[in-house]
Amino acid sequence: MSARRILAVARRIAQGFRRDERTLGLVFVVPIVIMALLGWVLNEQKDGAVRVSIVNQAGLIGDRIVDALQTAAAEADEPMTIDTLADVDAAREAIRAGDTDLAIVIPDSLLDDLTSGTRPTLTVISEGTDPAAEAGRFQRLQALMADLAGQLAVPGAPAPIVPRIEVKTVYLSPDATTVDVLAPVFLGYFGYFFVFLLTGISFLRERIGGTLERLLATPVTRGEIVLGYTLGFGIFATLQVIILTLFVLSAVEVPAIGPIPAFTIGMGVESAGSPVLTFAIALILSLGAVSLGIFLSTFARTELQVIQFIPIVIIPQGVLGGIFWPIDQLPDVLAAIARFLPMTYAVDGLREVMLKGADLGSSAVQVDLVVLTGIALFFVVLAAGTIKREVA
Amino acid sequence: MTGTANPAFEARRGVAVEATGVRKTFGPIHAVDGVDLELAAGRIYGLLGPNGSGKTTLIRLLTGLAQPAGGEVHVLGTKMPSREALSRIGYMPQSEALYPELSVAENLGFFARLEGRSGRAAIDRVLELVELGDRRGSPVLELSGGMRRRLSLAITLVHEPPVLFLDEPTVGVDPALRVQFWSHFRRLAAGGTTILVASHVMDEADRCDELLFMRGGKVIGQGTGRELRARTGSENLEDAFLRLAGLDSEGRPLGDRGAVEGRPS
Ligand SMILES: Nc1ncnc2c1ncn2[C@@H]1O[C@H](COP(=O)(O)OP(=O)(O)O)[C@@H](O)[C@H]1O
Ligand SMILES: [Mg+2]
Repeated sequence: MSARRILAVARRIAQGFRRDERTLGLVFVVPIVIMALLGWVLNEQKDGAVRVSIVNQAGLIGDRIVDALQTAAAEADEPMTIDTLADVDAAREAIRAGDTDLAIVIPDSLLDDLTSGTRPTLTVISEGTDPAAEAGRFQRLQALMADLAGQLAVPGAPAPIVPRIEVKTVYLSPDATTVDVLAPVFLGYFGYFFVFLLTGISFLRERIGGTLERLLATPVTRGEIVLGYTLGFGIFATLQVIILTLFVLSAVEVPAIGPIPAFTIGMGVESAGSPVLTFAIALILSLGAVSLGIFLSTFARTELQVIQFIPIVIIPQGVLGGIFWPIDQLPDVLAAIARFLPMTYAVDGLREVMLKGADLGSSAVQVDLVVLTGIALFFVVLAAGTIKREVA
Repeated sequence: MTGTANPAFEARRGVAVEATGVRKTFGPIHAVDGVDLELAAGRIYGLLGPNGSGKTTLIRLLTGLAQPAGGEVHVLGTKMPSREALSRIGYMPQSEALYPELSVAENLGFFARLEGRSGRAAIDRVLELVELGDRRGSPVLELSGGMRRRLSLAITLVHEPPVLFLDEPTVGVDPALRVQFWSHFRRLAAGGTTILVASHVMDEADRCDELLFMRGGKVIGQGTGRELRARTGSENLEDAFLRLAGLDSEGRPLGDRGAVEGRPS
């Protein structure tokens, strides 16, 4: 091992980058643009007014409910409009035409039910094509109904006491958004993705361009080449992760200048734990991507074929790594696979640190760091093994 | 990987490169098919043969970049492949083998550093030699084919190795500079450097001390140009080669069997 030769290889990679503005853009600007876009979409999702149509089959008592709902809706924080329709068919037609989101049918048996002490049933009709959006609408409707329940007592009888629910959370604030939960994870994911892609392509060029053969005709060793690459791309991964971490964690308000409206740079996600530890986890993950890129470049003959590894390497890690669905909830087979993916440990570590404020003393974080380092070293050895003196 | 010094070999001073019965196959192709050679220190050898005759493969075997299927190679007394021996070998690949986005000086500096030569003087010396001194800062992408060949040669020479394997070094280099290259090779040889130059054209053969004709993975003739012409009764080296290959002056087989040409390189 010669530090001088490792440094020479790292330096050559940095020199190559310097003249390649497009790649620099890919490494530094694109992840931020994607993160910003993601934050924008998730944060500022328009909660359009929920349009509710009521089909009242219960006559006068139903009218009272409609009035109460309309009053409550007007006072609700979240916009909601309430109107009435003649019958169920009209309601279905309105939903189909997109004129309304939900229809509530108040049955004609309502008064009988109330007087006989049976629980009345209200039917809610929805479109049924967008579960996520509908879940949100139901939630808002339910909140409204809970407020209303008090008014639905039998005349004369004491109003039932409906407790209000106040939400408190252990980790994030109750109004944490999807961004707060996803940002830490994307931080790791982007570093991994770009470093993998760049190393894979660089090393492939080294193989097909003949420079690897020239390298191997010098006293440099295979291990020195892989470590030099790891260091060279490591510098870029470091810069990238620093920039992304800053972008995710900070929020700089830029005031309106002339026609440009005020805007915020950065996502302003709050990290409960140390930003340095966050950075370390994302970096170790990225370093593993260097040797993975070198290793997989052996199996590619063109740059396009390196790109073809993305669906094989990057996407499954995105799906199985716990970014969207917790590992415990995956089917057994997939959960077992997930345990072998570095992304799984990075996602876990980043969430532990950023969301739960774990530090180096946390055994979960320790396991994540050890496994990530182990995976990275494993691929260093594997990558060095694929660099043969005989490159043909 | 460690080279074992061969005492019998060490005893025969003056032999820089020795190959005995080296073979290399790629599937059914016998790229190098039992080659024996001895290259004396301080001489320039021309390795001549058509495309696909196995010149590149033979050079890769001599540098230790390829593992022979049979036979042995020794360079300066060290059995190849050997990493220590590599710092005493200059290998100029047939392909460009440069980093296109790096400048001339960066390409050169990188390989020099791997060889433990990072001094500016060493770099300036070879850049002067290949007349690229004024293009130090140009990225390789902006160089002509001939300039790239010159840079490639500069990289090969930067660590002043005593043994040079040059695979078609003068392709695309203009005649004036070619003359300069050869006078430099001559100077190096006079200083004791052993040089093997592969070429698929005969026009530089007269500048070599000795020639090795290659065909179908075999060395079919070895000697000075004069010896080879006399032995075959030929006017020129092309004819000498054809006679040795068993072909008539039109390149048709004379007697037993025709040679198969490999891929164009
Ligand atoms: N990596 C390889 N894989 C398969 N065949 C090869 C490889 N390298 C060389 N060959 C074959 O070996 C023969 C000799 O090739 P080469 O040594 O490049 O010849 P030359 O340099 O004289 O043109 C050719 O038939 C060529 O196709
Ligand atoms: Mg060749």
